[in-house]
Amino acid sequence: MKFDYFRLALSGLKHRGLRSWLTMIGIFIGIAAVVALIGLGEGLREAINSQFGFIGADIITVAASGGLGVPGSGAINPLTDKELEKIRGITGVKNAAGRLLESTKILFNKKAVFTFAASMPGGEERELIEDMVNMKAEEGRLLKDGDKYAVVLGYNFLEKERFGKPITAGKKITLQDKEFTVVGIMTKKGNLQIDQAVLMNEDVMRELFERNPDDYDVMAVKFDEAVGVDKIKADIEKELRKVRNVKEGEEDFSVETPASILENVNTIILGVQIFVYVIASISILVGGIGIMNSMYTAVVERTKEIGIMKSIGAKNSTIFSLFFIESGLLGAVGGLMGVVIGFSAATGLVFAGRLVLGSEIITAQFSPLLIIGALIFSFTLGSFFGTLPAMQAAQLNPVEALRFAK
Amino acid sequence: MIKEILRYSISNLWQRRRRSLLTILSILIGITAIFALSSFGLGLQHLMEEIAKTMGTDKIMMMPKDYMTALDKSNVRFTEEDLDFLRKINGVEEATGMIMCSSKVKFKDYKEKYPYVMGMSTEPKEERLAEEMFAGYGIEKGRALKKGDVLKATLGYNYLVPDRIFKKPVSLGDKIEINNVKVEVVGFYEEIGNPSDDMNVYISLEGYKEIFEEEDYFFILLRAAPDQDATALADKIKERFRKYKGQKEGQEEFFAQTYVQMMESYDAALNVLIGILVLIALVSVVVAAVNIMNTMYTSILERTREIGIMKSVGARNRFILLVFITESGVLGLIGGLIGLGVGYLIAKTGGLIAIASGVSMLQPYFPYWLVIGCIFFAFFVGAIAGLLPAYQASQLKPVDALRYE
Repeated sequence: MKFDYFRLALSGLKHRGLRSWLTMIGIFIGIAAVVALIGLGEGLREAINSQFGFIGADIITVAASGGLGVPGSGAINPLTDKELEKIRGITGVKNAAGRLLESTKILFNKKAVFTFAASMPGGEERELIEDMVNMKAEEGRLLKDGDKYAVVLGYNFLEKERFGKPITAGKKITLQDKEFTVVGIMTKKGNLQIDQAVLMNEDVMRELFERNPDDYDVMAVKFDEAVGVDKIKADIEKELRKVRNVKEGEEDFSVETPASILENVNTIILGVQIFVYVIASISILVGGIGIMNSMYTAVVERTKEIGIMKSIGAKNSTIFSLFFIESGLLGAVGGLMGVVIGFSAATGLVFAGRLVLGSEIITAQFSPLLIIGALIFSFTLGSFFGTLPAMQAAQLNPVEALRFAK
Repeated sequence: MIKEILRYSISNLWQRRRRSLLTILSILIGITAIFALSSFGLGLQHLMEEIAKTMGTDKIMMMPKDYMTALDKSNVRFTEEDLDFLRKINGVEEATGMIMCSSKVKFKDYKEKYPYVMGMSTEPKEERLAEEMFAGYGIEKGRALKKGDVLKATLGYNYLVPDRIFKKPVSLGDKIEINNVKVEVVGFYEEIGNPSDDMNVYISLEGYKEIFEEEDYFFILLRAAPDQDATALADKIKERFRKYKGQKEGQEEFFAQTYVQMMESYDAALNVLIGILVLIALVSVVVAAVNIMNTMYTSILERTREIGIMKSVGARNRFILLVFITESGVLGLIGGLIGLGVGYLIAKTGGLIAIASGVSMLQPYFPYWLVIGCIFFAFFVGAIAGLLPAYQASQLKPVDALRYE
């Protein structure tokens, strides 16, 4: 019986041939646009999230409160060795390291480029930072204690475009008017901050930028996950309040867990994503109106048929189901094509992006949830817009319907 | 004849009014979205043009090259000597240095904020130059900074509004703490309509030195003499200053741009953004075009016999073609007209919401060509969508058409 509905609905669609196709095209364009945009949007979010270097489930970032921009900028009361020691003393903290961040000019092959310099701590903490970003040398080696005027560069410096020729291990570059030897290049991380970074030992950095001997811009804290991130965060905050002599609610520093860092960024991205999706969804709505129109036409065209079915005993509910399924099918088939096309379009774009830009900045992410969701959504949409026409068909008076003969 | 065709088309659309209505609805949604989005993009562009017009084309700005990425963390600074050198360049009428950083600002017991604190000269001519470039707007309340002011500050407009920056508004004569130093508020600037600019704190260079113990400039503003071309002057300054600093070409640590050039780069970025949004909205117009096509095919199918009769009494193919194209064009036109109305209301509402949330910069602007363009666009989308069905109708053989049931 249920199967018959589908067969009848399908033959109804086939009967209208071209017009059924056009209706489906309307739906699939919208679905394709939304699927492609969501895929690219998720990819973008993933890419942006991976830009935040210190991220690992067991790393907390501490910075003195400041303005926009680089961590630690505008801070009046910078973090110092004192805080670092206290943090290390907290139970559950495995290790902590401070880093300096500065903007610097690099001179190479008679060209100047500005980028970020970050310090590498000495001793045990060096390993901590290396572990955190999974630092490996693509060329040469990583920094070690005692390296004076030596730097390790991010992968992007291997690109020719930046300075007219690539910087490779062993080359000399000038930073802040001082000559440095490049001892190594890091492997590609796909993270703009790290891939463009200049790393040098902390003592060298303090000398080069005339920094105070004991302050830090940002601290990375590795903790024991068994203790729980919230407890560690609260303990660090309590300890820092004590050291810095500030009251609760007046903290002049921030302690960010991996989740909270991402949260801020994700709120912004989500806002943009939602705006784009809303605009893209307009086309699905327009497609839905197309289904409605198409179904109303079908009801009018098949008035006589409905009259005959009713006069030989078809119930109102049967007629309703018939048209309802027909519009649902329009939506579902349109949606299926839309998913396929949207998927191909986004993948094509990613491919083109890779060819043209030579980087993996454009990526797409398709979760099964997205695909299934899109299919269910388009079926629901089709049925939804078919409801009114189907109701109209179901409520036709058989006598009137038969008399409406053309 | 055109009148006849139009009347015939409209009466046909009216006969199938529900279908016509749904079709119009589908096109008007897309036109609404495009119209509203474009009006905001054009509004921003219009605002920038206005600013460029009122602020003149004679201003040049010099900044460290890493300004975009490093903000106030840049290690490149300009000294007083640099400024003196720039003042002496032929064609430079005035030059002033500014310094800024993001700093802690506290008011009473409310939660502290980290706005940009700007140090500017209080020499009347130099101060005017700085104001034109930044605040650009007059004083809302109180007075501007004047010579001899040290621990005095003027604030952006948002400090006057409760809950935007501090819970309670700041009043004239109140003390705020900048970097833990008490400073008296002597004035407020008018609203610029951009949350970050309206949050700025301005103090004198002397005050900045006192609070932050720093006096090297972060950027320099210059005014070209009236007989100078600012763009050419900017290039000249760049060249001269580079040599003065002993930096080789391609290795400059700074850039010099006219105000207009800076605006243009913002404009370009903005246009790309709006372009993408309009493109996405265009998808819905494509869908609407497919809907119109569908409606027209249906309509032709239903009126096959009518077409047959018209042809048998002498209607030419061209006439039939014109009838159906007009019909679909009218569908688009009506959708476009209503879409403009709805889009206008939505954009205006959006503008009001923007004012209420302190982003009064974001206002729609409706140049006449956008209005006319949207109407024409809607009409053409309708007409083009109707082209294929209409052609099919015009090619029907009268005998077959009459026989059709």
